[in-house]
Amino acid sequence: MITVNNAPSIDHAVGKPKAGKGMNWKTKRKLFIFVFTVPTLLFFCLFMIYPIIQGLYISLFDWSGGSETKSFIGFDNYKEMLNDPILGHAIYNDYFLVFWKVIGIVGLGVFFAVALTRFRMKGSGFFRQVFFIPNILSVVVIGVLWNYIYNPSIGFLNSFLSLFTEKKVEISYLGDEAYAMWSLLPPAIWAGVGFVMILLIASILSIPTELYEAGNLDGATQWQQFVRITMPLTWEQIKVSILWVVMTTLNGSFVIVWIMTEGGPDNATQVMGSYLYQMGFRQYHMGYASAIGALILILSLITTLALQRIMRRDTYEMS
Amino acid sequence: MHKKSAGSVVLSAIFYVILILWALCVLYPLVWSVFGSLKDNQQFLLKMPWSLPEFPLLWENFSNVWVNYQVGTYFMNSLLVTTLSTLLALLLASTTAYTIARFRFIGNQVLYNLYLASMMIPMILGLIPLFFLLSDMQLSNTLLGLILVYTAMNISFGVFVLTGFFRTLPKELDESASIDGASDYGVFFRIMLPLARPGLISVGIMNVLSIWNEYVMGTVLVNDPSKYTLPIGIAVMQAEMQYRTEWGPLFAGLLLSIIPVLIIYFIFQRQITSGMIAGAVK
Amino acid sequence: MKLKWGKSLTLLLITALLLMLAAGCGSKSETKTDTPATTTETPKTDTKTDTKTDTKTDTKTDTTTTPAEAAGPELEGDFEVQYFVGGYGDGFWKEAIADFSKKYPKLKIKESAGPKINDQMKPRWIQGSPPDFVYIDGAGANATQMVKDDQLLDLTDWLETAKNEDGKLIKDLLIMQPVKYDGKIAPIPFVFGTWGIFYDKAEFAKNSWAEPKNWDEFLAVSKQIKDSGKMYPFIHTGKYPYYINGGLVDTAVVVNNNYDGSILDKMQALEPGIFKSEPVKKALDQVKQLVDAGFIDPASAAINHTDSQSLFLQHKDAFIPNGLWVENEMKKDVPKGFDFGFIPSVTQPAGGKFVAIPYTSTVGVAKKAKNPEAAKAFMQFILTEKYAVRWAELTGALDNIKADLSASDKVSSLSKQASGYYNSPDTVVAPYIELNADVDKVKQDSTQALANGKITPEEWMNRMEAAAEKSRGKK
Repeated sequence: MITVNNAPSIDHAVGKPKAGKGMNWKTKRKLFIFVFTVPTLLFFCLFMIYPIIQGLYISLFDWSGGSETKSFIGFDNYKEMLNDPILGHAIYNDYFLVFWKVIGIVGLGVFFAVALTRFRMKGSGFFRQVFFIPNILSVVVIGVLWNYIYNPSIGFLNSFLSLFTEKKVEISYLGDEAYAMWSLLPPAIWAGVGFVMILLIASILSIPTELYEAGNLDGATQWQQFVRITMPLTWEQIKVSILWVVMTTLNGSFVIVWIMTEGGPDNATQVMGSYLYQMGFRQYHMGYASAIGALILILSLITTLALQRIMRRDTYEMS
Repeated sequence: MHKKSAGSVVLSAIFYVILILWALCVLYPLVWSVFGSLKDNQQFLLKMPWSLPEFPLLWENFSNVWVNYQVGTYFMNSLLVTTLSTLLALLLASTTAYTIARFRFIGNQVLYNLYLASMMIPMILGLIPLFFLLSDMQLSNTLLGLILVYTAMNISFGVFVLTGFFRTLPKELDESASIDGASDYGVFFRIMLPLARPGLISVGIMNVLSIWNEYVMGTVLVNDPSKYTLPIGIAVMQAEMQYRTEWGPLFAGLLLSIIPVLIIYFIFQRQITSGMIAGAVK
Repeated sequence: MKLKWGKSLTLLLITALLLMLAAGCGSKSETKTDTPATTTETPKTDTKTDTKTDTKTDTKTDTTTTPAEAAGPELEGDFEVQYFVGGYGDGFWKEAIADFSKKYPKLKIKESAGPKINDQMKPRWIQGSPPDFVYIDGAGANATQMVKDDQLLDLTDWLETAKNEDGKLIKDLLIMQPVKYDGKIAPIPFVFGTWGIFYDKAEFAKNSWAEPKNWDEFLAVSKQIKDSGKMYPFIHTGKYPYYINGGLVDTAVVVNNNYDGSILDKMQALEPGIFKSEPVKKALDQVKQLVDAGFIDPASAAINHTDSQSLFLQHKDAFIPNGLWVENEMKKDVPKGFDFGFIPSVTQPAGGKFVAIPYTSTVGVAKKAKNPEAAKAFMQFILTEKYAVRWAELTGALDNIKADLSASDKVSSLSKQASGYYNSPDTVVAPYIELNADVDKVKQDSTQALANGKITPEEWMNRMEAAAEKSRGKK
């Protein structure tokens, strides 16, 4: 994902047969292509596509997930999704996370990358190392850690806030519908900034310094340099970062939600993935859960596609 | 940048403060869990969360966890699974990526799009079918089964990034090599792969991180504690702690799982970041 | 990266169709395949228990084939036990299994246990290669659902005649009779207990707070506690609202139905209008009273059982709705001088009866068990008075066998207090029910929202009626 549009669409001329080589050469080449693609494809289909298709196939059944028999009901599960207010809320929550995580992770990532490169901070190596640490932690670990930060009575956050207030702060961050979704954001952002930062640091360092020197001579402020030089020239990486956040959120935010809130309170933090899990493994509607899985797939495809369209146009406007 | 104006000095100072704050945000929870791992429940409940653990420090929290949970085994399992899956995924992905990037053949674009689209698949959807598949192949509850699944899960990302990477390598290289009589295989293994090393490293790192931390599939595909990987072990540990209120041992367990990764990270961090950087800028 | 999405989507759809066909064929053969023993064992040796190492070795050898020696009437072959490890720990199971294997040394016993065992074993149940004996408890396990899915062996006839190890008819020993599903019995209630409200007698005495016996006294003392500023009157396990449902809401429903527990049966049957009936409304209004008076600790909303229990033990809160296992679950953290008080219900008016809402966890034999005889023998082995006492001693809770606990000094005072209530004519033990999983989820969510002050009793009732309506439509 790192390279996305950077690669100009080269015409892959290498594949063209060259003079002096005969039919034998062509067969060999075909065999080579076969050897290099088909085993991977078969392996991939067996362990990835086939289970997923099976999963989608289950979505056409009324199946508890426990019995050995299932009954075919066509698209009834999909029809039912239309009348499920919790699902609607879950979709909203997914995009809530997508939106704020993009703002938070990419925003902070860009900021840190710029600060650590263009501003030549002392100890930038140290910061870089430290900021990346959350990215190497398991989501399970992150969830458990933050659970204790948020714990209303023995947690860090309330105790800390209580230092500044007369009355003890007793906010139940993950238990109050008003705060719960917002409270999921800091751990998610905390865990993702490092990757984006590294990506952008690399990108900024590859910008020829002459450009900035020229900017300095023209009297451009740091902000102007950022808008006119840094942003356009790192746009590809920013775009990649955004897509990365969007995709990992739609597919993977379920783990942190499940560990921290199990979708509660009162479904306030349900995302599509956690609702899938709840439906399939807790309420015994594996068919319906699979239909939710199909929905996640479709929404991810649409969102990514739409974002690419939008951001492509942006590129033209900016450069 | 060379002549710093007063404004930019102030700006730098502000940035500095923000950077330090964020560094604290990152480091403090870790330090805090070190403290927590040395406390007993009383200290959790009655003292401030940031208070230092009281003497005697409860090092036995660590030994408890070490004895009751086979953390050492989990670690070795994680190491084995991560290493093998990553290598296998790199091999499978790089061959396909190379072919897609440098050769024209029917289905070239289709293949690429297939891998690309499959990155958006929520894997949990295939969880139950995957279990049946593995048990039909007599691979359920084995590390090999886990390795194959993790490999498959990481192929598409590798194909995606490495295709882009191979496209940027100058085509004259393999042309001249093939004129010199090298076979396609020789060109790939002796010339292209070494050239693609930065890309391979950055893909490899991403694979390692995702495999090392995976737990949803693992929990269902493996249920023999001697085959747990670290995240599965921690998840089980956390679930058990829920019924026993053992905060100290819980944090000790978390640390036991974090520390090896941190050590590896700090030893190899130059390679890791430079690998990622190389992958990113190409 | 010029994406041709149209193309790739068509491709996906085509592969999808193709593979679906393949899947259709494949799924038929699925059930035939017999997986070779998926080995599982307990995830750890527990520190709290002490008899365990022998069973551990058993689990390691399970792949070797059984020597076909002459065994007489003995049980032999593989025997797999699945049990959830939660608040009761695994001490009882490890001991019972160890004893059982001493009695039947030819059995190769395998333990599949742990706090996530229900999720981990699920695929094997679907696939038709389940363990032989299962103790159904914890998240992800639901006896009713297992019956629906036809996973459990019909024990109706067996129970009629089955005698336990001591030669006593098991049926006669059960405190709570098994739930009948269309007249059939499959899961046998193994744990018995009731929800209730817990407090610290010592702390109440110290502050000269009166131990409440009815709703008015409960409200009065709660106000006193709140005004004292020492602690919140009431905490509950917000993350898992079935605690407050069992200890408060459901008791109030029965109280307001003139102590007639049949209303719970009607709820289980999802009778139209039942969730909007007068007793329910009155019960919810009682919860609302607590909310409006600010008696509920705001920390409740997000926390799980052990966290809420810790706060309760540290005297940050006076009352907690809970189950009888709480004393054992928290035994390491119970402060010195803490004296558990228990009352089955506080929602009754002065002069009213106590209402105890029972809970149970069941045991069953898998329909596809490979060794059902061993599984039944194991049931007969543990459904005895001897093991009832051991259960009480090891878990601090009660099991479903009538047994004289007074002889044992290891049985917790809570269990004894509770027994006292159950034997009293002033206590109504409500019937045990299991709501349909969908309706139950809505109930948990709604009760939590109600206790959080986020919804009104009317909204609670509307939600429940809607959920019941939906479930009825599905039947």
